[in-house]
Amino acid sequence: MCSFRTEAVVLSKEHIKRVSEHVWEIPKTFRGDMRVSARLYADEGLLDAALSDNSVWQLVNTATLPGVIRHAIAMPDIHQGYGFPIGGVVATCFPEGVISPGGVGYDINCGVRLLVSLSSVENIEPYLGDIASRLYANCPSGVGAHGHLRLSDEELDQVLHEGSRWMLDKVYASREDLDRTEEFGRIPGADAAFVSDRARERGRNQLGTLGAGNHFIEIDRVTEVYDQPTAARLGIYLGNVAVQIHCGSRGLGHQVCEDYVSRFQKTVRDYGIDLPDRELVCAPFDSKEGQEYFHAMACAANFAFANRQLLAHMIRRSFEEVLAGKIKDFELRQVYDIAHNMAKIEEHEVGGRSVRVCVHRKGATRAFGPGSNVLPSDLRDLGQPVLIPGSMGTASYVLMGTTEAMRQTFGSTCHGAGRVMSRAKAKKTVRGNVLREQLKSHGILICAGSMSGLAEEAPVAYKDVSRVVEVVHRLGIGRKVARLEPVAVIKG
Amino acid sequence: MMSFEEVEHTADRAFRVTGRDMASLLENAARAMQALDGPRSAREPSATEEIEVEGVDRESLLVNWLNEILYLEQVRQCVCERFHVAELDNHHLRVRVETHKSDRSRTHIKAVTFHNLHIREVSEGLEAEVVLDV
Repeated sequence: MCSFRTEAVVLSKEHIKRVSEHVWEIPKTFRGDMRVSARLYADEGLLDAALSDNSVWQLVNTATLPGVIRHAIAMPDIHQGYGFPIGGVVATCFPEGVISPGGVGYDINCGVRLLVSLSSVENIEPYLGDIASRLYANCPSGVGAHGHLRLSDEELDQVLHEGSRWMLDKVYASREDLDRTEEFGRIPGADAAFVSDRARERGRNQLGTLGAGNHFIEIDRVTEVYDQPTAARLGIYLGNVAVQIHCGSRGLGHQVCEDYVSRFQKTVRDYGIDLPDRELVCAPFDSKEGQEYFHAMACAANFAFANRQLLAHMIRRSFEEVLAGKIKDFELRQVYDIAHNMAKIEEHEVGGRSVRVCVHRKGATRAFGPGSNVLPSDLRDLGQPVLIPGSMGTASYVLMGTTEAMRQTFGSTCHGAGRVMSRAKAKKTVRGNVLREQLKSHGILICAGSMSGLAEEAPVAYKDVSRVVEVVHRLGIGRKVARLEPVAVIKG
Repeated sequence: MMSFEEVEHTADRAFRVTGRDMASLLENAARAMQALDGPRSAREPSATEEIEVEGVDRESLLVNWLNEILYLEQVRQCVCERFHVAELDNHHLRVRVETHKSDRSRTHIKAVTFHNLHIREVSEGLEAEVVLDV
């Protein structure tokens, strides 16, 4: 028997206990269906922002998932999503705890890739307009956009199973790119037999495309370096060019999520799972249904790694088309590629024992500390690079994962600035063409497919990313390495 | 009375929709989603498609129906109009839809979610609030 409950319990600040300066807890006793307490990592202002919409309520809902371990966690960039809050981290016991497609979201393996060059921004500035135009032409954007590759059924299967590794054979990737990608660009467990024909249809022509919404390609200047030795090891130098790619698994991932969220509406009834929100539908990881979703999710994740890899290739080509023979050292090397919407099986210490758990990160970034054996050998002593994009026109950050993140947050940290204003209100408040001119006057070139889409992503709609990063830095669940500021933005 | 209105949502888009019965709720919800997705122009000739969806209950039917419209409009690049509900019960829906090829492939809705979805009885008939992932 299953039901989806609505409860008229009001959540306010009085229900929240301050555990330390930046850690807040909603105890398990707050609501009868919570299996663990919920913890929110934030300063007081960010907590107040989180309480202004339903995001903390959504966090409490995730504390009801069967098999949830320790705490349901939210990062300082928490904001209202659907099912999980964005900025949510939930680990469930393995293999009998649940996996939730809604806990990963529709854009499976949405993530960020960072490339850097040894050239200064000053050197490329005269060519910036041409580069932005080439990027806009070479990296198609918009929800339904088609890319330059047309994949056969067999090739699509290979991409779904191999991720970025498929790009290595096609010379769209280097060995170094793969080393500098989370999971080396390929999530294990992918099986294309569990990806629907419709998902394949939606994704087939979308490899190498950006998508819409908050997805972007951004050319940045490194404006501050907090830890010079670490930055130098990553190839990051003050004043130099950096390029960020933010996008995910496109229509293929959306359809995988849709297929399984729809199917799991019945599955939760079959397993007698009682949930406060139908978007949280889930299945035991070791059940037939849980396994099938995991196989399909891994395929979509691999598609997303391949997508960002092909975009990186197209960006390198765009730089070459404009800069070859004109300036030196414009080549772009990969710092890292991270996922921020994913469910993964990882080893973590729980109750003094190392155990395998299924970590859902919905708008949260893996932030493994030094010594982790899943990092490439040349980064193992440093920890994992963490990429935190800001809102359009504002700063972004490069952090390193920490031992403290392993201890407190299942090796996770924030993923961005986090919205505070609805898209509808942003469009009423901001005019896209005015915003574009404002950003231009601040030295930021914008190429966007839609002025209303641009308005929705206005900086005023987001929290201050620097404040979010400061909280995770002070908590020790991410260590600041460098700050980037945009000089050109290509919007989906 | 307006059959739908946009509801504030921090990260995504949402609308509240009403209908005198389930068939009109489904139709109005499709129009609400199309309105939030932005204007588009249709080109002749038109074709008639049949959309058939199954669901564990009325909410599932609503989400699966809207996702079908989204699929036709995004992947097949059609505009869907003139919905005629041919069959409807709590688990099954069959609708005839007029489709026109569209010159606009740019849409920003990724999917229709089940977030906090409940179809309620109200004085006008039925009401639901739908969150769209964008």
